[in-house]
Amino acid sequence: MIEFHLDPRSGVAPYLQIVQQVHQALLLGLLSEGDQLPTVKQVVATVAINPNTVLKAYRELERDGLAAAKPGVGTFITRSLGQASLAEQAPLRDELEEWLKRARAAALSDPGIQALFHRALRESAERDT
Amino acid sequence: MTAIIQARQLAKRYGQRAALSNCTLSVPSGRVVGLVGPNGAGKSTLLKLACGMLAPSSGTITVLGHRPGAGSAQISRVAFVAQDAPVYPALSIADHLKLGARLNPRWNQAYATARIADLHLDPAQRAGRLSGGQRAQLALTLATGKQPDLLILDEPVASLDPLARRDFLRQLMQDVAEHGTSVVLSSHLISDLELVCDHLIVLSASHVRLTGDVERLTATHHRITCARRDPATLPAGLHVIAAEHTDRQSTFIVHSDTPPPKGDWAIDPVGLEELVLTYMEHDRGRDPGPGGDSAAADQDSADQGSEVAR
Amino acid sequence: MIWLTWRQFRTQALAAVAILAAATIYMLVTGFQIRDAYNADEATCSRPQSQCVLLLNNLQGAYTGPQQLFQLLLIAAPALIGIFWGAPLIAGELERGTHRMTWNQSVTPARWLAVKLAGVGLAAVATTGLLSLLLTWWASPLDQIAENRFSSLVFSTRNVVPLGYAAFAFSLGVALGLVTRRVLTAMALVLAVFIALQILFATQIRTNLLPSTTVAPAVNSALLSRAHGIDSPAGGDGSVYVFQPLPAGDWIQSESAIEDSSGRVISDDQVGSCLNNGPTSLAAIGTCLAPYDLHIELKYQPADNYWPLQWAETGIYLALAVLLTGSAFWRLRHHHD
Repeated sequence: MIEFHLDPRSGVAPYLQIVQQVHQALLLGLLSEGDQLPTVKQVVATVAINPNTVLKAYRELERDGLAAAKPGVGTFITRSLGQASLAEQAPLRDELEEWLKRARAAALSDPGIQALFHRALRESAERDT
Repeated sequence: MTAIIQARQLAKRYGQRAALSNCTLSVPSGRVVGLVGPNGAGKSTLLKLACGMLAPSSGTITVLGHRPGAGSAQISRVAFVAQDAPVYPALSIADHLKLGARLNPRWNQAYATARIADLHLDPAQRAGRLSGGQRAQLALTLATGKQPDLLILDEPVASLDPLARRDFLRQLMQDVAEHGTSVVLSSHLISDLELVCDHLIVLSASHVRLTGDVERLTATHHRITCARRDPATLPAGLHVIAAEHTDRQSTFIVHSDTPPPKGDWAIDPVGLEELVLTYMEHDRGRDPGPGGDSAAADQDSADQGSEVAR
Repeated sequence: MIWLTWRQFRTQALAAVAILAAATIYMLVTGFQIRDAYNADEATCSRPQSQCVLLLNNLQGAYTGPQQLFQLLLIAAPALIGIFWGAPLIAGELERGTHRMTWNQSVTPARWLAVKLAGVGLAAVATTGLLSLLLTWWASPLDQIAENRFSSLVFSTRNVVPLGYAAFAFSLGVALGLVTRRVLTAMALVLAVFIALQILFATQIRTNLLPSTTVAPAVNSALLSRAHGIDSPAGGDGSVYVFQPLPAGDWIQSESAIEDSSGRVISDDQVGSCLNNGPTSLAAIGTCLAPYDLHIELKYQPADNYWPLQWAETGIYLALAVLLTGSAFWRLRHHHD
């Protein structure tokens, strides 16, 4: 059973942090298809957060197709991001390193790169919703 | 969504001093509501008005559809834990549970006993010997044991050490997860409440400054950073709450119902703490500012804006 | 709420029971002793009056110590009740903030106050009542000998008045506690007010509760043959007094010096011929003085007024208690929290 750790200062909404941590667990292979996510009560017993936050995170995961709720039992992972996505990641990683080389060549500092990246990420997320 | 607390122009005066002025708000049920404000803002007053310990000087307040404190049926549905969790020092923990069982029409003795056991508290221990955190837990047990529809907590974690604070909030959230109780808790530190609240009320100098669902508040407020400019030149639909100017740069905190348009500026989200501070600093002297589901806020949303030039 | 009131009051109740038990045992034992001694003395006493009086006075003197002690206990009891049962009842809760917890356990403030008042108030009156009953029974032979039922310390520690004091002191403590919200302040105020009222009653009020009877018996041989003596006290202003025998249970409130028919106090030189040079027996002095048309003025309450006076004083204290209780409820209603 995985545990969540929330950081109120990170600037990321709490429910998103949970979603990200589930993604991370899937990537690391800590969670796989068929595994049960901790129940709302279990999460709340370890981290003092609003139960609705957990519900919202789980609904988001359901929307992404990563999890499904079985009424009366719990929420279960329906898809792995395991080996397949690790393979998908390699070309993405290469492209990213190319881009970084070009950004540095354009005299962009590391903080500048981060700011640019975060803005683009946020704007693209807003476009999708 | 039914409103669990509804206040209209609620005010409380002590002689010349106004503890609470012109307070209009509507709190939806099923929420964990954070009541934030500096000391002396009127938080305790508002909470005591909500549970019937005080009578209003003017205006009205209804809780669960009825006047607070009107008869023991109403009192049994609203639980209140006062600041510093007072308990009877000479009585044991078990005695306190007995108190709860005898005085309340609805009391879950099994739940209360199990909770005390989970907290590793000795029922025979006298309440006077408990630490601050343990006292707070006992008071919370007495409150949740009577199975209320609404739980009101006045600065429940203010005098607790960080460990006790975390344990208390965890226990509280478990109770909410299990019973779906609506909760209103006050604090003068937003950081205590950030992770547990989904609805916010900001009080300052006896007035309500801001009220609404946390999600909606964070979604509709943004920080706009740009070259120095007059706020009036910003697109319509962006209501400026606060502005700061240096010789080169202007930073605005704006409220906008729709996502702000792209332009010659950077748009960033505003954290909850910063939002609360911004509203507290700006003396609006009137009713709540923008809020998600507050009825009065909808009336007010057309009328915003105050500017602080530095 | 009844359980809670009992649970909070438990220690004080047990202390009171312990004191009552000790007092009862002691008083029962010595009380029967006194009665036995009294009956024995009465039996041997059908002979000369003076010897009788001596014997009984000795008996009374023997128990003066315990009598004073118990009277002190009985006058202290209402004050202590007001201080330790009344003042903390509400002030203790308000000071600590526990009333907010209890009010939230589905108890209305009015019911909370009512049960506390009734429960502990009843205990207060019952405790004092029992103590008064004990002391009145215990001291009754001694009181008969001393014939001083109306004197302050005796009047206020017998029969019904202590109940009135207890009800008053208790409700005073509660009302003051509600207003001051501080236990120590309320305690101090209760003591001060209770003592002040007791003094006021003893010196001013009690004598005027019921109308006194005034008589002006003439100074003649009939009066003086019953008297102990007639004299003008040395170092005085020259006025002359007749020393009357102790009245059988009446309460002499004032006794004037000898006055003439116009109400002026005479001086000893005016009647010097009768007092110093003339006859030696009191009856003869009386005959000598008769032509001067003198009288003394006596203001007194007859013995029969004892019970009406007890009820009147109790009634006033009870009325005050009711007023204080009512004001406590009013205050609670209008100044919550």
